[in-house]
Amino acid sequence: MNIEKLFSRASEKGVSDIQVYMSDRTNLSIEIFEGDIDKYEISDTKSLTIRGVYNNKMGTFVTEVLEDDIIDEVIDTIIASAKEIDSLDDAIIYAGDKEYKKLDDIFNENLAKLDVKKKIQTLKDMDKFLHEYDERMSVVETMYSENTNKVVLKNTKGLDLENIANSAYMGGSVIVKDDKDQRVGFDVLISNDFNDFDIKKIAKEIADNALAALGAKPVPSNNYEIVFSNGALATLLSAFQNVFSADAVQKNMSLLKGKLNEKVGSDLVTIVDDPFMKKSARSRSFDDEGVATAYKALINDGVLNTYLHNLVTAKKDDVTSTGNGFGGSVAAVNLKMESGESKLGDMIQSMDEGIYITDVQGAHAGANAVSGDFSLQAMGYYIKDGKQVRPVALITVAGNFIDMLKDITMVGNDGKLSYYGVTTPSVKVKSMPVSGS
Amino acid sequence: MLLEKKLIEQILDTALETGADFSEVFIENRNASVLQSVSGRLEKSNNSKSFGVGVRIAKKTQSVYAYTNSKNPDDLIKLASDLSKSFNDENKTERTPLMELEVGKKHQVKIKPNEVALKDKVKLLQKSYKAASSYDEVINQVMVYLMDDQQEVLIANSEGRFVTETRVRVRMMTSAIAADNGMMQTGSSGDGSGKGYEFFDEMDIEGHGKEAARIAKTMLYADDCPSGVMPVIINNAFGGVIFHEACGHSLEATSVAKNASVFSGKKGTKIASDIVNAIDDGTIENAWGSANYDDEGYPQQRRVLIKDGVLNSYMIDKINGRRMNEEPTGSSRRQNYKFSPTSRMSNTFIDNGDSTLEEMIKDTEYGLFAKKLGGGSVNPGNGDFNFSVMEGYMIRDGKIAEPVKGAALVGNGGDILHKIDMIANNLERQRGMCGSASGSIPADVGQPSIRVQAITVGGKKKGAK
Repeated sequence: MNIEKLFSRASEKGVSDIQVYMSDRTNLSIEIFEGDIDKYEISDTKSLTIRGVYNNKMGTFVTEVLEDDIIDEVIDTIIASAKEIDSLDDAIIYAGDKEYKKLDDIFNENLAKLDVKKKIQTLKDMDKFLHEYDERMSVVETMYSENTNKVVLKNTKGLDLENIANSAYMGGSVIVKDDKDQRVGFDVLISNDFNDFDIKKIAKEIADNALAALGAKPVPSNNYEIVFSNGALATLLSAFQNVFSADAVQKNMSLLKGKLNEKVGSDLVTIVDDPFMKKSARSRSFDDEGVATAYKALINDGVLNTYLHNLVTAKKDDVTSTGNGFGGSVAAVNLKMESGESKLGDMIQSMDEGIYITDVQGAHAGANAVSGDFSLQAMGYYIKDGKQVRPVALITVAGNFIDMLKDITMVGNDGKLSYYGVTTPSVKVKSMPVSGS
Repeated sequence: MLLEKKLIEQILDTALETGADFSEVFIENRNASVLQSVSGRLEKSNNSKSFGVGVRIAKKTQSVYAYTNSKNPDDLIKLASDLSKSFNDENKTERTPLMELEVGKKHQVKIKPNEVALKDKVKLLQKSYKAASSYDEVINQVMVYLMDDQQEVLIANSEGRFVTETRVRVRMMTSAIAADNGMMQTGSSGDGSGKGYEFFDEMDIEGHGKEAARIAKTMLYADDCPSGVMPVIINNAFGGVIFHEACGHSLEATSVAKNASVFSGKKGTKIASDIVNAIDDGTIENAWGSANYDDEGYPQQRRVLIKDGVLNSYMIDKINGRRMNEEPTGSSRRQNYKFSPTSRMSNTFIDNGDSTLEEMIKDTEYGLFAKKLGGGSVNPGNGDFNFSVMEGYMIRDGKIAEPVKGAALVGNGGDILHKIDMIANNLERQRGMCGSASGSIPADVGQPSIRVQAITVGGKKKGAK
């Protein structure tokens, strides 16, 4: 689409300011099932998100049709929307910041250049390794996915920004079986440097975890000490991240409302948003509104330091945007709970009677970001006198996320970037209700 | 037409040049809008337009996929050619000429989304907002969403299929938050349809607004749910999500064909108690999960999944059908052109039994009445599932007692079907969005009220009666 033409037509029709956000994504996905290529996908898609201000209201149009002949339709629709919108929010198109951080480690040219045959071979090696690892290995799938995302932002206030990042994940999913039971295992590694994909290490972890879970049974319903693995905590933090959004706070939908500078977690809890994280395809030097992104602590040693803001929420609270205006609302870039000093083994050993939870499921329905309550399916190991006794499955663990932050007594040194895009260590929590047999 | 027939044929041919035995082109043109009001004020009016082409090539059970939103003939042919390099075989498969373009005629709509003025859409939001916000003073936030979606698809393949249809869907959801004393709880209610805007004339918009507020208020003053194993009566309509999660996903060829389902190799065997009949029907007129064709271009069908407790049919797509040596069942679906299609549910439900809800409650000394369910998930690999209860009540001495919040139910799909011991006669379906391998798609869940003899209930309160 001819952007100059879009801008001048908008101005002729009375749109005071307009912004386009162009996204160009390419993807390669490969899956190997039982030694053969089961999925091979390539794609290249472009889209434009166009936001225009008319009578101080914001209309939005997203299009994958990029021909000039839809320009009038786009502008007319934006104007029609703006006429009906009666929200009291200001409509702001941003003129830009003085400085944007230069990020040179989020796009790795070598990743895209690497021959696809090498990627396929690595997956096949992993498949073979898993099959030969143990005779109880029943079904094996290995997968690789690689994304490049280029973003260009232009507006009538003179802003013209560009960001390009790429990333890949490689991992596997297995089903293991013995006479009595069947268990699954899954994990991925995320990086934009192919050399980081130590497939034997991750394959071994996936296999060991699945095999160790064979014979898992519920424990009696009771309150137990809990250690969440880094992966299990990632699911929880990801499900509750909206509590940090100033938009949620202003709409009375966050339990952190009115808690700025108050203690909301134990001293051991520090949660940051790091938009400059290396090797993350989410990393950005500017948000969707054109505001420079910034590293910031949301919770610092247990104290709530700031909410996440976009231009509109910041103006309402009379603060500056934190550079978290994404997707028409507010979101973190790379949410990270800082690692602590404890070893996972020491945390497990410190429990008299507890559960080491390796995975929680069903967070999309069983975790309520407004009330903070969760009750989720969990699996892991029963721990007695500091020792791992047996695998556990089909239990639920219930609690309130905000209460839980206060009850964290140990934080692991094992921070890991998860599939959900958040980085978390394992943690120990005082006691939580578990439902089982 | 979305692309010239000649170009489609060229793409199909190019795809077969390296020895693949099947090629398919999926073209999609889509317009959607989402309106959101917060505290009665219209905050968002987002419109979107998408267009894309997906090309799939297969040889036996191996398939590859590519997509783009380019309309340029050279780009599209190059895409097919690049993709075909995955295969290398001198034996070429001859393409069957495309049949006369077949246009899907079922599921007609009266009022298309683009024929409705934005003003009139906003009035619908207002109606629900007013009903919800005036329900009670503890309601401190109400959000209403109105979505419409018009998807035009054209599907052609090397076996001569050449079909097109336009699918329209509309939906309205209201969510309310009740707050008191530093506590907050949410409730939501809504409905949707494969009809056009005429649907909102029959929908009880105020009723759903009030219902969202009622649930939020009820849950605000509810006790934490006790934990433990107990009988659970799962109410009708959205309660059917239990079958959807616990069994439906594990009956999709996606997992069955790879021997990755607890129900692999179980066709013809007893997998449920005698009183269970389960159906997946993609042909119900204007239903949320219906269509003329599946996303491989074959007619949608009605599939009896379980008959009197015996596994009767899986849901099968083309490629997994090859793996299983079975015919596809018209079950292949995808969110949009960005996904390769695979076997998915459409409108899935447990059929009526001959008990009544009243009898079930009377017959239960102690347990949980799950009146409204939230969503859930399953791991088809071993059948372990979970789902959350949005509105629950304890049952004591055959009577519904106090409301309880925060309940989750967990169990195993292979196991739970045998534990259904009563089925009522009040079958209803409800709208849902189902996420899986080929993206997020509209699907109905449904059931009459059922009783499960014993299931693990997880809540914050320590167990005991």
